Amino acid sequence: MIETGIPKLDEFLGGGIPNGKTLVYYIQPGVEGEIFGLQTIHSSLKKGGTGLFVVSSTTPDIIKGQFREFGWDIHLFQDRFLFVDAYNSLIGAPSNEKYVVSKPDNIEAFSKTIIDAMKELPPSTIVFGSLSTIIDLCGEKETLEAVRTWNKMANLYDHVLVYNFTAWPYSEETLKAIKEDMFNAVISVGGISERVIFGQYFGIFKADWTKEIKKSMLFRVLRPGGIKLYIPKILVTGPFDSGKSTFVHALSTRAISVDRMGTTIALDHGHIDYKGFSADIFGTPGQERFDPIIKLLSGESMGVFLIVDSTNPTDFVRAKQMLEITKSYGLPYVLIANKQDLAGALAPEEIRKQFNLPHDIPIVPVVAKDKKGVFEAFEVLIDKITGGL
Amino acid sequence: MTDTIDLIDKLLSDLKKSGGVEACAAVSRDGLLIKSSMQKEQFAESFAAMSATMLGAAETASTELGKGVPNRVIVESTQGRLIAVGAGPSALLVVIVSPDVGLGLILLELDKSAKILKELLE
Ligand SMILES: Nc1nc2c(ncn2[C@@H]2O[C@H](COP(=O)(O)OP(=O)(O)O)[C@@H](O)[C@H]2O)c(=O)[nH]1
Ligand SMILES: [Mg+2]
Repeated sequence: MIETGIPKLDEFLGGGIPNGKTLVYYIQPGVEGEIFGLQTIHSSLKKGGTGLFVVSSTTPDIIKGQFREFGWDIHLFQDRFLFVDAYNSLIGAPSNEKYVVSKPDNIEAFSKTIIDAMKELPPSTIVFGSLSTIIDLCGEKETLEAVRTWNKMANLYDHVLVYNFTAWPYSEETLKAIKEDMFNAVISVGGISERVIFGQYFGIFKADWTKEIKKSMLFRVLRPGGIKLYIPKILVTGPFDSGKSTFVHALSTRAISVDRMGTTIALDHGHIDYKGFSADIFGTPGQERFDPIIKLLSGESMGVFLIVDSTNPTDFVRAKQMLEITKSYGLPYVLIANKQDLAGALAPEEIRKQFNLPHDIPIVPVVAKDKKGVFEAFEVLIDKITGGL
Repeated sequence: MTDTIDLIDKLLSDLKKSGGVEACAAVSRDGLLIKSSMQKEQFAESFAAMSATMLGAAETASTELGKGVPNRVIVESTQGRLIAVGAGPSALLVVIVSPDVGLGLILLELDKSAKILKELLE
């Protein structure tokens, strides 16, 4: 089993890709998808595996350069990181790689190099940088036939095969074969525009070794960093003085607040990078006179932290009201029982009773001023947002 | 989808070419960055959130007082100016302008761009 190294995807795939299996990243044109194969080979190399990268649309040196851009140190892997160079001979340049396809537009020549490598190497992760380019050079039918052979060989020799495929307008037959028949797993990578949010997502279309999880995740590509799951907006709301601003700052890698005379009059904004996630956090004011701003800021949230002061149950009515104002019912939310350090703080279960909170809504005990419990709370909410396991 | 975002990108880079414009961004009404053209990209998100709050608060104040929807919000400081204009019900446009240029032309450009942005997002 190898890990794809894409946050959450391994979890969704039941741990990663088992040896002998094949996976295709099925990429909508115009989306930054080829980094998926790159991140997967990096993940496997990092865990001590052997990786073979098949370049068809660019030189091995450029791929190595991309590794550097993402902040991945290739020197650690030197002899375990190999290339099939199916590019340099196209442009008449010499190649320093161990495996070279001398005629990249001839599928027999191509296939022979791949099969030789598969026979020679120990169980490895073999990533095709661009299956679409091979198809463009060698023809649709011919390439698919070769891919079928490679996939069978992978099964025989215990390799993991990963393909980047950009879904250009090929024949319907070809697209259908790739999407439905030829691979053990298909991850679709696409772009969306939901109202005004333009983003990129991936989701499992198929994975025959595990229970399928039909869940899509937004992502961003960071340099350095690679693929990070992206949550454009998490809302932090709750009554005045419950600790919203403190919570936003405790959680964030960087944050700013518009506070005057001890109270938030506009908003808190924070950015967090944590365990493969990147998220922007919006903290609202709490006092009723700011309700118009609270309404303005709360659109398009993907999840909500509702903060209460555990020593102050008289505020619970206002807390519920704020869920309504922010239209948070129906969104994933987590109740934060803050100020647990104070004498007289109610225990989470007592708060649940007094609040009359449904049983499927998590309560997390937190001391925001000491950053206690804030990251646990983040993980709980992320799990709710991503339909965690 | 890629088309729209490319067009917004082009709109911003055109706007940035007007004399004196240092940075600009398209922002959703609820404070999310749609696209920006600015040097310090890492500040773009909080800049977006603040701008949406500012314009939203100004619009609420003005309409509550019976003075209608304001055409724009202009923030002046010795180091520059920040101007936010609404671009339809779902977005706004913000620019940062250097202190030494006249605003006349820029305001015209900004209104024109805001109108285009509004149409792009319809
Ligand atoms: N004892 C204690 N005080 C806290 C905690 N979190 C925040 N506070 C304090 O509660 C007050 C209100 O916090 P603030 O974050 O401004 O609340 P907001 O109005 O909800 O944004 C401040 O004096 C904080 O120092 C906590 O976990 N324990
Ligand atoms: Mg506050």
